[in-house]
Amino acid sequence: MPVRVVESNAPAQVSGSDPGNRSPLPRSSLLAAGQAFSGTQNVSNQQKEEAWRVNVQIQGVDLEHGYLCGTMEALNVPMADTPVITFWEGEIVDGKNYTFNTGKWEATREDDLRHWSKFPSFAPLQGQVESDGGRQLDLSNYPYIFMRWKEQYFVNVGTDCGLTIAGFYYVCFSCSDGSISGFYYDPNSSPFQKLELKTVNEGRSGFSFSSYELQ
Amino acid sequence: MPTTTSSSSSSAASSSGNRQADVFSRLASSDPEVKLKALREVKNQIIGNRTKKLSFLKLGAVPAIASALSDADCSSNSSILVQSAAALGSFACGFEAGVQAVLDAGVFPRLLRLLTSSDEKVVDAGARSLRMIFQSNQAPKYDFLQEKNMEFLFSLLNSENENVSGLGASIIAHACGTSVEQQVLCDAGVLEKLVLLLDGSLSQREACLESLATVLKSNPEAVSRFVGLEAGRYMSSVTELTKDRYPRTRLLSCLCLVVIYNTSPSYFLNMGTKSSLVTTLLELLNDPGQSGDEAALGLSSLIAEKEDLQKLAYEANAIKNIVDILKTGSELNPKRLQGLFLSLAELCSKLEDCRCSFLSLEMLDLLVNELRHKNADVRTAACICFRNAARSIKNLSAGRFTTDHVMLPLVQLLHDPSSSVQVAVLGALSNIVLDFSSPKSTFIEYGGIKQLIELSKSMDPNTRCSSLRALRNLMFLADNNRKELFYSEVKAQGFVALISDPEPSVQEQALALLRNLVDGCINSIEFVFDEDGLILDTVGRQLRKAPQAQMAIQGMYVLTNVASGTELHKEAVMQQLFPQPQAESNNFMLKFLQSHESQLRSATVWTIINLISPSSPGALDRHVKLRNEGIIPQLKNMVNDACLDVKIRIRTVLSQSMSFGDN
Repeated sequence: MPVRVVESNAPAQVSGSDPGNRSPLPRSSLLAAGQAFSGTQNVSNQQKEEAWRVNVQIQGVDLEHGYLCGTMEALNVPMADTPVITFWEGEIVDGKNYTFNTGKWEATREDDLRHWSKFPSFAPLQGQVESDGGRQLDLSNYPYIFMRWKEQYFVNVGTDCGLTIAGFYYVCFSCSDGSISGFYYDPNSSPFQKLELKTVNEGRSGFSFSSYELQ
Repeated sequence: MPTTTSSSSSSAASSSGNRQADVFSRLASSDPEVKLKALREVKNQIIGNRTKKLSFLKLGAVPAIASALSDADCSSNSSILVQSAAALGSFACGFEAGVQAVLDAGVFPRLLRLLTSSDEKVVDAGARSLRMIFQSNQAPKYDFLQEKNMEFLFSLLNSENENVSGLGASIIAHACGTSVEQQVLCDAGVLEKLVLLLDGSLSQREACLESLATVLKSNPEAVSRFVGLEAGRYMSSVTELTKDRYPRTRLLSCLCLVVIYNTSPSYFLNMGTKSSLVTTLLELLNDPGQSGDEAALGLSSLIAEKEDLQKLAYEANAIKNIVDILKTGSELNPKRLQGLFLSLAELCSKLEDCRCSFLSLEMLDLLVNELRHKNADVRTAACICFRNAARSIKNLSAGRFTTDHVMLPLVQLLHDPSSSVQVAVLGALSNIVLDFSSPKSTFIEYGGIKQLIELSKSMDPNTRCSSLRALRNLMFLADNNRKELFYSEVKAQGFVALISDPEPSVQEQALALLRNLVDGCINSIEFVFDEDGLILDTVGRQLRKAPQAQMAIQGMYVLTNVASGTELHKEAVMQQLFPQPQAESNNFMLKFLQSHESQLRSATVWTIINLISPSSPGALDRHVKLRNEGIIPQLKNMVNDACLDVKIRIRTVLSQSMSFGDN
């Protein structure tokens, strides 16, 4: 049986290289596999102020399906002896695969609007999203990308570590400087825990890019 | 005193041997009645019995029967003609060695002559027998381009005898191979003749469906002609037959529709038809016979590259159904195994849900077992299944594929005697080595790096390309230890050879590999400076040679990554971009900025961003140089680049430019 040899424009959509141009949203260099981000998640509640250092690494981006995934590493977590790493999957709000309406994970439309509206870059879109869910919006030229990130499993600790991954993040990514902000939503956790990340350049003076190609 | 003993088994063997020898002497008898009886005996014994066929074959039954047929031909003894033709047909039925023997006996022309007999029974027997022969790949080539052959073929198709018309259809089904032949047949009106058989007997219908598939395959004009016949009446008939009560009819009509779909999908806009086709093939997978084997291959062909059909199949529970068949524990024949694995592979090709579903069914152990199957097609299909399942980053990240008992057999297949297996396993390993910066790699522990480097020197460019792609993926986010391990096996000279490969696709992968090598910790950049900057010089040289876009993209990202380093690194990149002296026409940066490929424009702008990154002392001087070389002015022309990413990066450069006091 002849085996298809993949040409360099790989047919597999998830890649760290070029996904082709059938995607609803264009490629953004800094939201790509191999890119690393670092910052904090504010886990304060009424009792105390607390922030964890967080590192995020993107492992795959499939714009055609509005999908991306990666890992999140939380440092100085009180309940854990080591940094806690989770694997997450993301939905990109592109109007084709996913909209601003979550429709699951116990998030109502009101929860959605409450969270999205905390991003300044959402303000110009708010009216349309409120009226028809943003169906008519063309986000392909908008320099911000909105996503939901949901952690799927713990990579290096057991589920009995005392931490939860039941909720998800509303995320906004800035295409120009690669900064990320997000709000964690979990009906059983403190509300509006804020995630703030910036690109990381590992001691370099500039940006560096690696890539892979799936066959 | 020795006595003769006769055990019951040896006496049974000797008596059956005696019977067989006896049959031979009776076949050669001059008494027609005796001969006829012997023929009937052989025929009755071998029908559906492969073992008997083999044993009679070894004793030379076929030449003996061929003789009987020749003699009867001369003496026009119909009964003997009928029985000998039937016996020969039986030998040929589903038994390749039998077909060979019949053809070797030189009796094929005589069988053809039987078709012109005035005795209907003789014609029938001859036609049936010939049909068996034409089921095999060993059947004589039928030259459709010869007029008299075409006339003969049409005379068969026009016959009222269902076996004869069925023979005509069978000849087409198995001998029509090229588009020229398809054209000649269509122009001669074969489609119009064949479709009449759809209303005929079961055997005629089945022969018709098989031959239609052959004539229409990959031929849009033929498909258009067929669909247009009587305003789509026959297309509807074929569609209806997918619900026929006979499984083989359902299968053949499905395969016919698969051919039409793959050739001209626009005739299948109706979701219901697509869905029905998928579910019918899925049901046929459970057929224990040949239909089940062919259904599996048919399904994989139908859903290949078609995400909507893969989704339909997934929603119809295809993955679970196929996995259940595979897990029954009974020995499945190689063709079916191949078809089932290829179907699974196609299901996993584009949809993450399918991959996760498949992997959750604990199939990897079974798949690993089949990597050792004696049939190369099965091993290849198993590897392709692995490859596609390993497109799931989620599962790769969870380390699903990197356990010893999965990795070792895969690595061993790199030395498989079959080249299609080697290509397939290289594809699977390419994906599986993506362990996302996990420091431990079972692949490396099994000597994978050396093997890939060996394969990167293969004569075959596809193998070189694939092995470099695997190395590239292995070096993605790799730590220093892994990079050193790899580099020590290649060194600067080795890298130069890879980057200078005659094939652009190989160069591209080599540069992508280099890009990953110099990413990460800043010390990694030093690799390109080894041996007096040999590698960096080669990259520069390749970029100056007007390369293909994909190669240029990787080359520019190498420069981007190097330019994110120290002052020395940035200056070295400037040297590559603007070597002294150079003619202006050699300024590849300008050319790349004007490329149609947005990724190339993007990569080039990133290099510039890094070169004038404000944190480095020489940024201002480099900015001046870039301006003088026309690069900054070119960027000013591109502020409204069609690609958002490029536009954003250019604005970064220009705002930096302004801060240098440039208006």
